[in-house]
Amino acid sequence: MVIRNYFIALLGFFACVANAEAAATDQPQVTFGGFGSLGVSHSTMGSGDYVLDGGIPKGPGLSNSLSTTNDSRIAGHMAAQMSPKVSVVMQIDAEYHSGNSYEPEVEFANVKYVFAPDVYTRVGRVPLPTFLQSENRDIGYTYAWIHPPVEVYRQEQLTHTDGVEADYRLQTGAVGHSIRALYGRALIATNDPAVLTTLSSKHLWGIFDTAEYGPTTIHAGYQERDTNSGYILTGLADTWVKDSDLSFGAQYDPGNWFAVSEWIQRKSTYKTSAMYVSAGYRVKKFTPYLTYAASSQGSFLPGFPPPSPDGIRLAARAQSTASLGVRWDFRRDTDFKFQLDQVKLSNNSNGFLANVPANVSLYGSKFYVVSAVVDFIF
Amino acid sequence: MINLKLPEIIRNYLALPLFLAMVATGAHAEVVVIVSANSHVTSLTAEQTARIFLGKTTSFPDGGQALPIDQIEGNAIRDEFYTKVVHKSATQLSAYWAKVIFTGDGRPPVELESNVAVRRAVAKDRNTIGYIDKRYVNRSVRVILEP
Repeated sequence: MVIRNYFIALLGFFACVANAEAAATDQPQVTFGGFGSLGVSHSTMGSGDYVLDGGIPKGPGLSNSLSTTNDSRIAGHMAAQMSPKVSVVMQIDAEYHSGNSYEPEVEFANVKYVFAPDVYTRVGRVPLPTFLQSENRDIGYTYAWIHPPVEVYRQEQLTHTDGVEADYRLQTGAVGHSIRALYGRALIATNDPAVLTTLSSKHLWGIFDTAEYGPTTIHAGYQERDTNSGYILTGLADTWVKDSDLSFGAQYDPGNWFAVSEWIQRKSTYKTSAMYVSAGYRVKKFTPYLTYAASSQGSFLPGFPPPSPDGIRLAARAQSTASLGVRWDFRRDTDFKFQLDQVKLSNNSNGFLANVPANVSLYGSKFYVVSAVVDFIF
Repeated sequence: MINLKLPEIIRNYLALPLFLAMVATGAHAEVVVIVSANSHVTSLTAEQTARIFLGKTTSFPDGGQALPIDQIEGNAIRDEFYTKVVHKSATQLSAYWAKVIFTGDGRPPVELESNVAVRRAVAKDRNTIGYIDKRYVNRSVRVILEP
């Protein structure tokens, strides 16, 4: 709450400064915009809720036959160029989250200082670029899918960190690199009944490289942090656990079609990994695509206290999804998407379903999720 | 996206008669990439040009500052440039900039409304780079790429 108030105050401050600057130079450099998605989904699995990540308390399935919680949101964006070297960005998102509401939250709020054309730093709430589409995972308009593949993207739920970031762009021959290092901390509200209401991360650091060669993009990242998840995973209070993510992605997009794949290995008290492959073809205003995503069951690492029953349950979660969908760019700055997912839960877990009653076992179940969304930018 | 900074408005009274002449003769607009005649840059690849227009670099390969000048949406030459040089449709381009703008990574190039306006702006500033219909090229600018 304190952090939220701080950011709201910061927004007000930046808006005032930006306006003052605008009035003084009569060349205002302030832009406003936003994006949103209106989505609805249905799941044939009635014994649990199909949710994209642990921060969404309910979804289609057990709680509702039709649900808007996974793919509906609206966000506002403000950017102000204070001087050639200093700019400010603020993004506020309203989406369904752990408070069982669409209460707006600050997604990004940072000040950027450009040292040299290809070197800059940002301070404040900055994006955490774990995946190719991490920073824009809420902006449905920027990709073909209804949402990024669940098995992979839910491995790293954090989308931002409060801290400092350094960026360096480097051109070596025909290959352009964008290298980013960051340090900070994060708080994340969670909704799994076993999980603490707030998962706290500190000493978060990461290094990321995005290399582009013509239509090919390669993304690699490593990050680690200390989290208070030890209580959930081991049952021992005040146990901090080091989490780490190693992630790779490759994308080929020559224009009229695309292929993309990503992989992540995540370690806490257990090690797990997830991957997806996806390809689509653009025919005029339509982009049909296919995706296959899978996550593996976690294996416990040595050197930690024995896992708690919740730790065992969380580590066991694994599932795979085959998806077929289409994006239709039916009007300017607006798209419509339809997607059918076939989800298969592993043989010894309820996968990533939420709110499954304690005495219900859905091991090995197969079900379908149908989703439709309209994405827009303004 | 509402940009409060008004673009430079330069009217091109020749546009309509030229367009009619084009239609009459069946001529097809050919896009060329230009810099000022005073610039040191003599040629660029399509890939290097695309990186500048997508904001992935702010300098020419020789190290000089590069300021791209775009044409406004709806101009046929703009679609041809992005299709041939950047390999992105209008929709893909708009999705690309949504990602860049909303994550605070950058801003799209300044837009001018005609071939003549772009040629004049590029001729005046040796750091700029633009694209125009080949028929608008004159001695004030140098063609560095004919895709």
